Amino acid sequence: MGGIKAKTRCHIVQRLTPSVLQTKALSIGYKNGGKTPKVIADQLNLQLNAGEFVCLVGPNGVGKSTLLRSVTGLQPKLDGEILMSGQRLETYHPRELAGQVSVVLTSPISVGAMRVDELTAMGRFPFTGLFDRMTDHDWEVVRETLRVVGVEKLSNRYIHTLSDGERQKVMIARALAQEPRLLVLDEPTAYLDLPGRVVVMNLLHDLASGHDKAVLTSTHDLDLALRHADRIWLMDDAGQIIQGAPEDLVLNGSFAQTFNRAGVRFDPLSGTFETQNSGSKSVFLEGVGPEVVWTRRALHRAGFAVDEEWIPGSPRVCVMPQNDIITWQVEFEGQTKTFTTIYDLLQILPK
Amino acid sequence: MNQTLNSPAGHQTKRLWLFGLFLLLILALLLLSLAFGSVSIPLKDIWGALIGREGVRESWVYIIQNSRLPRVLTAALAGIALSASGLQMQTMFRNPLADPFILGINSGASLGVAIAILGSGFVGGLFLPALNLGGEFSLVLAASFGAGLVLALILLVGRWVQNPTTLLILGLMFGHATSALVSLLVYFSAPERIQAYSVWSFGSFSGVNWTQLTVMSIVILAGVGLMALLPKGLNALLLGEDYARTMGLNVGLLRLIVLLSASVLSGVVTAFCGPIGFIGVAVPHIARNLFKTSNHKILIPAIILIGAAVSMAASLIAQLPGSQLVLPINVVTSLFGAPFVVWVVLKRKRGATSFNV
Repeated sequence: MGGIKAKTRCHIVQRLTPSVLQTKALSIGYKNGGKTPKVIADQLNLQLNAGEFVCLVGPNGVGKSTLLRSVTGLQPKLDGEILMSGQRLETYHPRELAGQVSVVLTSPISVGAMRVDELTAMGRFPFTGLFDRMTDHDWEVVRETLRVVGVEKLSNRYIHTLSDGERQKVMIARALAQEPRLLVLDEPTAYLDLPGRVVVMNLLHDLASGHDKAVLTSTHDLDLALRHADRIWLMDDAGQIIQGAPEDLVLNGSFAQTFNRAGVRFDPLSGTFETQNSGSKSVFLEGVGPEVVWTRRALHRAGFAVDEEWIPGSPRVCVMPQNDIITWQVEFEGQTKTFTTIYDLLQILPK
Repeated sequence: MNQTLNSPAGHQTKRLWLFGLFLLLILALLLLSLAFGSVSIPLKDIWGALIGREGVRESWVYIIQNSRLPRVLTAALAGIALSASGLQMQTMFRNPLADPFILGINSGASLGVAIAILGSGFVGGLFLPALNLGGEFSLVLAASFGAGLVLALILLVGRWVQNPTTLLILGLMFGHATSALVSLLVYFSAPERIQAYSVWSFGSFSGVNWTQLTVMSIVILAGVGLMALLPKGLNALLLGEDYARTMGLNVGLLRLIVLLSASVLSGVVTAFCGPIGFIGVAVPHIARNLFKTSNHKILIPAIILIGAAVSMAASLIAQLPGSQLVLPINVVTSLFGAPFVVWVVLKRKRGATSFNV
């Protein structure tokens, strides 16, 4: 009963203030004890609404963690305003703030002999008294949270017996058990394998769209961010943040501009990063289907520019699917050779 | 219903059994400690000697009331205090090797005692003129003074040093600096004074009289009482200070209380019994392994029982029942305890204790 009541009340609050997090002319960085503070970024005007999943992306070391730590109150801001549900962050009592925002930090926790339900129940700390007496409602929230995250079967397992992906889900469950309006995660996919990353990003998207949370996560998985985020906060070396739907940022070139550097190129067609070909050697490639896509990747890696038209004197590669067998035919310096693997093909091309 | 989620039925029963077992063990150790020593007193006469009943040999009454009972109580209290201090330090620094003395409390106490014993040789009649080498109470004062000074320093530094690792390194460095001063004093001292200092540094549960025991138990009660307020905070610290902060805890206050409790507990034991190693680092590990939990709501009562039992056992062994010899307590804790902890640590599964190292 208590849960339903609390939920209804929560919804009313959210209707009143759709903006969960807002920053006005925010300046973040470090105070160096009296000396001039080191400013990481300033004049940040950001907004994050309930039901929205935002990915904070940017090159290493631009200050993504600093921003996340600042908006969660872990690190004092330098200047400007941070508004949590319309109220200034520093006016919150720590307990009240804990009911507004909860976090999943980068570094994996090192606690061993603790069960999943115990760890998740720690999310109820802001609501329990000095001796942490859990009410039935508290346990109800813990159970519901474990179910939403999809780890209810693990509830009696010890943390140290879980896989990295499972543990990360439990950390998300703990954060959710705090019943925050805003969930902030610092690189939650960093230690996970690829399927694990997809699962976590899916989960975060569901928490935003299906459970009306505002979710803010930093990540280095750009392709996943592009696929899952409702909005991207793109942070560059100068500490400026461009906001927008992922697709908008790709199409207007912001993405490429932020991440391009020597030897790497963002390809707006595939939405991935590619090694820039060194240009001098070129190859003509013809054919259709997935074989051509993968052959092109192999040729790129080997340092060839793949041309759309044949330039006399350069090798000519032709992909020829015949029934079930794929063969690659190469015409080069007057000779024609046929291969059955890309590996063999690369061996004979001029280095 | 919430009970099942809180702790599966099997765990709960097993834990109750363990608590019961340790209570019995403590009772047994108490009886054995009263019965055995340089003279053996029959078990049936122990109660009589305790309450001073007519007809029990007077020497037995004296031995039990003024030697063995205070000794075994001192051992139990010291064990509790060191374990409680060690647990808090390990949790706060999230380091399995942390012990009650990691912040240099014992170094401070050692320096105090070293100055009292060795330094009095240099300043002649100026410093502690009435000090005779066996004067236990002067040593207690000197050790308390040294430990208190370090405690004040820790609390002061702990207020503005935010990073626990920095605090840890400062503690270590302070310990080294103090040890150097002690070495300097030892280097220039007469052999008999060095001997007296060495005896103190071996640690001993004997020679704590009833007045001192009263003081000691009040301080330990206060320290353990402070810790008893903290299971939630200590649990939160297991995840790190950042997580604790985002869960709405006042980490600064929490840290101050932990430092105060842990330092007072280790300081008082060092003052009365000398620097006793090993118990503080080992008992929390034994508790986590036996009770299979990092939850301080269970660990706190667990280390109180285990700490008392381990310390009483060490004290009993140190008396070498049946012989006139008494071993230094540090020799016993390390010689018998170290192999045991090696066994515990090797036996555990990966990460089965609180910290994955």
